[in-house]
Amino acid sequence: MKKMKFAKIIFIIFALFPFYLSAETAEEQGLRIAKASYENGRGFTDMVSDQLMILIDPKGNEVTREVSGKTLENLDPNDGDKSLTYFKTPKDVEGTVMLSHTHISDDDDQWLYLPALGRVKRISSSNKSGAFMGSEVAFEDFSGTDYRKYEWKFLGEEMENNETFYKLESYPNYENSGYSKRISLIDNLNRTYKVDFYDRKGELLKTLYLEDYVLYKDKIWMANTMKVENIQNKNITIFKWLNRELDVGINKKDFEKSSILRLAD
Amino acid sequence: MLKKYIISFLFVFLQYLVALQNAAAIDYKAYGFIQPEITTFFNGDGRHDQSNSNQSIFVKGTFITYLNNGDQKITINTTGRIDEKDSERSYIDFQKFKYEQYFDDITLKIGNELIFWGVNESFNIVDIINQSNLAEDISGTKKFGQPMISLNYNHSYGNFDLFIMPFFKERIFPGRNGRPRLALEVDKSTVAYESSSKKNKIDAAVRYSTVYDDYDIGIAHFYGNNRSPELNVNPLSQKLDAYYPILSQTSLDIQSTKGAWLYKLETLTAKNGEERHFGIAGGTEYTIYGLRETTSDLGIIVEYTFDDRNDFAFNNEGVLALRWTKNDIKSTSLIAGLVADMSGSSNRFFAEFEQRIRDDLKVFIDMSINGEIDADDFTYAFEEDSQLTLKIAKYF
Repeated sequence: MKKMKFAKIIFIIFALFPFYLSAETAEEQGLRIAKASYENGRGFTDMVSDQLMILIDPKGNEVTREVSGKTLENLDPNDGDKSLTYFKTPKDVEGTVMLSHTHISDDDDQWLYLPALGRVKRISSSNKSGAFMGSEVAFEDFSGTDYRKYEWKFLGEEMENNETFYKLESYPNYENSGYSKRISLIDNLNRTYKVDFYDRKGELLKTLYLEDYVLYKDKIWMANTMKVENIQNKNITIFKWLNRELDVGINKKDFEKSSILRLAD
Repeated sequence: MLKKYIISFLFVFLQYLVALQNAAAIDYKAYGFIQPEITTFFNGDGRHDQSNSNQSIFVKGTFITYLNNGDQKITINTTGRIDEKDSERSYIDFQKFKYEQYFDDITLKIGNELIFWGVNESFNIVDIINQSNLAEDISGTKKFGQPMISLNYNHSYGNFDLFIMPFFKERIFPGRNGRPRLALEVDKSTVAYESSSKKNKIDAAVRYSTVYDDYDIGIAHFYGNNRSPELNVNPLSQKLDAYYPILSQTSLDIQSTKGAWLYKLETLTAKNGEERHFGIAGGTEYTIYGLRETTSDLGIIVEYTFDDRNDFAFNNEGVLALRWTKNDIKSTSLIAGLVADMSGSSNRFFAEFEQRIRDDLKVFIDMSINGEIDADDFTYAFEEDSQLTLKIAKYF
């Protein structure tokens, strides 16, 4: 009798098991898709690229900014990547170098070399919502790509341009964010297609479109164009990655504070 | 006159480099700017009958090339100025003219170099390698290149630097017509040294620096001719005689970065000639990001410096400053503040504004207003030198 009961329980557990699997909450489903989307862009080891930033005001006036950068992937899943950015234009900032050591749960470490001062300064990185070089791209848009920096929620599926997307809502779980929430559309290859950013008051602030996806190393999807339309001030920023190369074998020591001067003027 | 030719030559040379870069496939960078400046003095005629206006042109050119897949680097960084009124302010300097060889963990460097030590915004008391050009800027922040052979060893525990520095350069002071200038002229013909090798003495320095968590730390020792001479009134010539003692200085600089707060400290103990002295300077900088829901930032800087030498010019001073950065497409920024002598009643207000007006043009407006100045303060000589300067930089 006792044995019988035990077998029954085992049977019931096994019978219910698939049900438990599918009974994923909206939060779990959101997190799973966000994680898959994030991991889509991982495994690059290191990366070099030139970047072009086009700033367009509501009157249609355009200015272009050029930077070049290197990124080192952190193989430790609990810590962030390191990046080194060299500013080429506008001409008065030529020779400026910025080094970032990003962290997942902590503030990033950042150093800046300014040619006019001739010194390397450790700068505060709590400036999450600040504009990158006067653009519509905030610092947190670059540093906050890790899915663990947000709480996620799956909202359902949505059709746009005859394609079905997963619709996710996310809330930053770090301090000083300029956003109250983000709504992302992710395609069936787990590539982010579009993100709506809501400001601290809950108003729609800007929309990001990720375009020109390229498959690198047969497994890594990276968008080579990023377009940000600010709904409130009507400015547009287009960010393009040119000559992107992955896994080129950059020395880890290039990402140390003392190496900034090797790049600086 | 010669300086004028040299600067014109450099200007043409710079344009030539830029043109060459566009034409040839050699991998190098060349860029720079030319900056005309106009100054007006608005609270008196100056204590030494100087002119109430001045015009100046400042030029800077940079050339960088990497050889052998980036294992070697050549850097040339030249600055120069032609000044209408003060011949001491007209100069040309190769701030950097260096060759670097990169090995795995070691960097070897030969040539002229600018080395900055320290963390503070205002009182960089531990910064000792390069000589100051007080004619260019009386606060001493503008420096000349220092010839050196230097080795850097990058270990996992931190960075070790060794500097061997021949060819000492004497400090440059404003000339007779300079404004601001010292009460008396510095006599260039009577310069004396403690060291028997005088300006041929080979100076040396070592530094260890590391990053530990939120802390950036540097420990250094310098032994050589003091960059800052003692100035003594010569009763016969009624000029100042400069005397360069041997300085043996040990220093520490630390910055702690805690969110929007930066905490800074520089401290030193030094034997200058026969006397030992102690100095400390530091403070804090707090930044409010996204001021009132705009993209602007407002930084609040408070710094203080103390030196135990009673006759030292900056032995008890404080600075309170605000830095506003608009973070707009024009990189608009304004820094304004007050420098006060805490042991007297002297004070000075300053403001510096800058904005990009075109992709290759930037405008700077600097203002300095002297408040009350004690008659026994060395800055009493500058009391009537409140000024407004407009600079426009054209970049190449």
